[in-house]
Amino acid sequence: MAVALDAAQLSTFELALEEIFMNIVMHGSRPGIAPRVEVSLHRDAESITMTVEDDGPAFDPLSLPPPDVTASLADRRVGGLGVFLVRKMMDSVSYERIAGRNQLRMSKRLDG
Amino acid sequence: MNLRIEEIGDVSCVVPAGRLDFDAAPGFQQALERLLGGAGKPLAAVIVDGTALEYVSSAGLRAFLLAARAAQRSGVAFALCALQPAVREVFELSGFSRIIPVHADRASALAQTQPGRA
Repeated sequence: MAVALDAAQLSTFELALEEIFMNIVMHGSRPGIAPRVEVSLHRDAESITMTVEDDGPAFDPLSLPPPDVTASLADRRVGGLGVFLVRKMMDSVSYERIAGRNQLRMSKRLDG
Repeated sequence: MNLRIEEIGDVSCVVPAGRLDFDAAPGFQQALERLLGGAGKPLAAVIVDGTALEYVSSAGLRAFLLAARAAQRSGVAFALCALQPAVREVFELSGFSRIIPVHADRASALAQTQPGRA
């Protein structure tokens, strides 16, 4: 079923999809092997949930250390920033390794 | 993403339009570094006007970070202005609005990057 999103929700989910997909490509690819990625969106009365699954090597993006967002211009690092933004923008994010697949679920409440 | 550069005296206003995502970020970064590399006339400031910038991901933030460092090395002021709400949220959540000045509009960015001439 199609899920309608308003502009702010669309922006949040677009960003989450780009960040998580690029993480999978960078962490999950091996020479000659690209992970297969599946994305689904589900909306219920309270929230919208995006699930991203891939068959790459086990990798929990939530295990990445958070970036130091108070670091100076010279010391600032970008690694981990994408996942950090996703965690900040979503109301809940969870990771599971199920049957040889990584599954990341991201939910945002409709009232937020 | 399209990029327009407007020269206002010795200030370059960069006006990106569209989406600064993983695909667009390297080209944007190169354009800013070319500008800051200073083949042309002396530059006092580079202001990125976000009026038409719809989307920035972490790849876009990386381009801004590297440009801000290049500006610092070259002694050129670097600031942003007129960010759309979704883009401003990304700058605030990431803490980037603390390391790169963000102004409400172009006029205040011009005034504050060149206080002597305001």
